[in-house]
Amino acid sequence: MVASLTRRFGDLDLAEEAAAEAFAAAVERWPADGVPPNPGAWLTTTANRRAIDRIRRESKRGDKHQEAQMLYDDDPPEPLGAVDDERLRLIFTCCHPALAMETRVALTLRMVGGLTVPEIARAFLVQETAMGQRITRAKAKIKAARIPYRVPSAEDLPARISGVLAVLFLVFNEGYLATGPDSDPVRQDLTAEAIRLTRLIRALLPDDGEVAGLLALMLLIEARRTARVSSSGELVTLSEQDRGTWDAALIGEGHQLVRERLAARVAPGRYQILAAINAVHTSARDVRDTDWSQVVALYDQLVQLDRSPIIALNRAIAVAELDGPQVALAAVDGLEDKLAGYHAYHAARADLLRRLGRSQQSRAAYDKAIELAGNTAETAYLTRRRDQLG
Amino acid sequence: MQYLFSVIDDTAGLATPEEMAAIDVFNDRLQAEGHWVFAGGLGAPIAATVIDNRGEATLFTDGPFVESKEHVAGFWIIEAADLDVALKLAAEGSKACNRKVEVRPFL
Repeated sequence: MVASLTRRFGDLDLAEEAAAEAFAAAVERWPADGVPPNPGAWLTTTANRRAIDRIRRESKRGDKHQEAQMLYDDDPPEPLGAVDDERLRLIFTCCHPALAMETRVALTLRMVGGLTVPEIARAFLVQETAMGQRITRAKAKIKAARIPYRVPSAEDLPARISGVLAVLFLVFNEGYLATGPDSDPVRQDLTAEAIRLTRLIRALLPDDGEVAGLLALMLLIEARRTARVSSSGELVTLSEQDRGTWDAALIGEGHQLVRERLAARVAPGRYQILAAINAVHTSARDVRDTDWSQVVALYDQLVQLDRSPIIALNRAIAVAELDGPQVALAAVDGLEDKLAGYHAYHAARADLLRRLGRSQQSRAAYDKAIELAGNTAETAYLTRRRDQLG
Repeated sequence: MQYLFSVIDDTAGLATPEEMAAIDVFNDRLQAEGHWVFAGGLGAPIAATVIDNRGEATLFTDGPFVESKEHVAGFWIIEAADLDVALKLAAEGSKACNRKVEVRPFL
């Protein structure tokens, strides 16, 4: 309902308040008057009236023409199929490129995900007032700059979808990183929220390959959640995880999506390739059964699309399994100037140096990784590996 | 709805002949498509004067209101239905004049 009100009045704040007032009125009136025959229409009509009243009260010199348009827009209540279109419009608006990434994330979680401001603030370790302001300013910008409330045109759609997926993946990663004993449970709920929203996008855009790819990727990562952290709160790497605890249903669904995309015979985007890599890993009953040449081949495809040094690093880690740690170390060392501040870079180096028997250098690399790691589960893991060097 | 496109420059130079030609093409397009309201290039910041008449006496200060490397070198005022249209035009404008462009809505 907020979505359809936003469409009519172009103002997220107004839509939210009008919806809240309509619900409050229902709570007040229905016990006494009885539930109306069409409650949805009653709520929508009431909310529309409240919004119009508010516009009338607040409109000073104002855009009289615009006001008149809104007052005389006599749409019948939306048929149910159109609700999906409204939600799609809302998602694209919240993820508009004119808004900063952190703003898009906050706005999407608030308006589409329905999380409260305190919940979002806790999830991103930001002060509640700051998060509230971020959202308020975003709504003000949408209104003042007239960010249009619509699904983008066909030519703009690919870029805009990729923007939405980036927001959802960011939300997922925030939740995914919240492993460990002292992380707020709300943060863990973020992965569930990200998956829920991605499922929604997939239902609305069932033919888009990257949407399917992102959903598959999220499912295949989420399937391994319980195996990722030990009872003592330490990170458990892929090679050490108890694969029996992986969620078979999520893996099945993820594999199904990956197969579907392969069958589509369309050049895969980033998320589809990452999903395929995860599918190779989750197909192996034991880490020793992993088809590493497939993994490397998929990374070779991925680096064509994404020149990020982190992708190059992950590729090198896979190469170590095929061509040995020496070759991999040479590739990793080449990324020094780009990844010197990234803990996983030093962790990867430390592991390769350990396998080459260069214990002192390995220890130094572990120290660096521990210094840079931000997550308690990861720190515990790195500390143990370093101490095992002897 | 009207938007101000401010051209942001951090060089002392004016537009090159190529840039001027591209700007002309862009301006023609704005006019043909009904987006054009007004546009112009501005004199360099050294030509600016700041007036402060809020108090007792009128204060004149030589130079721009803020001393910074970046300054506004020119602007367009355009008419566009929404921000998506404005941003697409601003992207072309930025390419044409080869500088950053700030897009701000009028009240």
